[in-house]
Amino acid sequence: MKAFTAKLVDLTQKNAETIARQWAKDVKTNEKTYTYHEESEEKIIRQAKYFYNNFQMMFFNESPYEQAKEVFEKYAEERYREGVPLHEALYALILMRRHMWLYAEFQSLFNVEVEHRQAVESLSRTILMFDYIMYVVTRQYWKLMKLECQAKENTR
Amino acid sequence: MQAYAAKLIDVIESKATNISGQWADDVMTHKRTPSYHSLPKDMVINQGINFYMLFRRMSMAENPYEEAKTFSWQYAEDLYKKKIPLQEATYALMLLRRHLWLYAEFQGLFFTALEKQQAVESLNRTILLFDYVSYQVIEKYQELIIGSVERRLGAIKTLMMKGRMGSEGGTLKAALMTIFLLCACLLTYYSHVTLKTEILFTHLFYIPVIFASIWWGKKGIFTALFLGVLILTSHALFLTGIPFSGDIVRAGMLIVVGGVIGWLMEGIKKVEEMY
Repeated sequence: MKAFTAKLVDLTQKNAETIARQWAKDVKTNEKTYTYHEESEEKIIRQAKYFYNNFQMMFFNESPYEQAKEVFEKYAEERYREGVPLHEALYALILMRRHMWLYAEFQSLFNVEVEHRQAVESLSRTILMFDYIMYVVTRQYWKLMKLECQAKENTR
Repeated sequence: MQAYAAKLIDVIESKATNISGQWADDVMTHKRTPSYHSLPKDMVINQGINFYMLFRRMSMAENPYEEAKTFSWQYAEDLYKKKIPLQEATYALMLLRRHLWLYAEFQGLFFTALEKQQAVESLNRTILLFDYVSYQVIEKYQELIIGSVERRLGAIKTLMMKGRMGSEGGTLKAALMTIFLLCACLLTYYSHVTLKTEILFTHLFYIPVIFASIWWGKKGIFTALFLGVLILTSHALFLTGIPFSGDIVRAGMLIVVGGVIGWLMEGIKKVEEMY
């Protein structure tokens, strides 16, 4: 599995800056990520680079879910503090995944027949990682919302 | 794209009950979806079937995003009513997608090289449709949470005179409070000077005190302070010979009540701002 999927992750890692910039352009105009429209481009590019760099570590980690918790709980907390609604934060993540894949397609990473099998493997593994990330981010948001509610209740 | 994905969609549609059954077994035992463990299995399976049936409609629709809305909203509402946390609702969706794909793999749907290419296309298409549904479900959940908070705060918001009056609300509150305070002055004068009594009428002072705290939060305490000082000054001027103790307690209570309500309202305002 690792040998097949390494290609996609390596490409993403090497071109994190380029993919992050493409993603930033998208997220700043996409109608489903409205909160990002006013953010500075450099700031959101940093977000994407952080994501892509950590994604590689997670991809090859023996326990990717634990790694996701470690990295993306912090990511969720930052977006929450910035006031990004959950559906937009998650859609931004979805776009990160899409841009990763678009870049790979654009570079014709999986072109010949045997590579299509690798593509399926890569895609499946990527989706699994994203599922973990989205679960962790949603759970952390939910937790923070509850905590904030409780804090307000206590203030009352 | 649609031609490639058609094969997968045909399987999903014809085997929706089987795939949903497998999904139900998984989601009802999975450690990341504990709230599903106690749900009736039939209900869970039906949810799965509805979802898998949506696939053809979404694939055929000119605007799949719009097509998904009815399902997504219903899905979100049903789960929200059952108090399923959002992360579990989305994880259940992910499992729906995973089981769909597992079933296709198990059936050897994409075996040859050409089929592998179709598999990539189908997978991409499936992911896109799932992305739409996930986004809509999460958005709806947030709407439902906000709606529920709004309803709970509804009565208080009415008392706070928020919403419809806009900037006129502030002037109206100030005008009403001035009238309340004038009435309080007249009532104090009438009771202390004409009736020569200190009892009972001060209970009416709680009305402006409570309103002031609801409208202006902690700042509302100034109304209580004003009324407290009014009672004590008037007592000193017009009720000579009657002990102060009763009015001191009354003035103190007004300030305590005003302060507590103002403090509570600050908390409610913060919750409101949060949503």
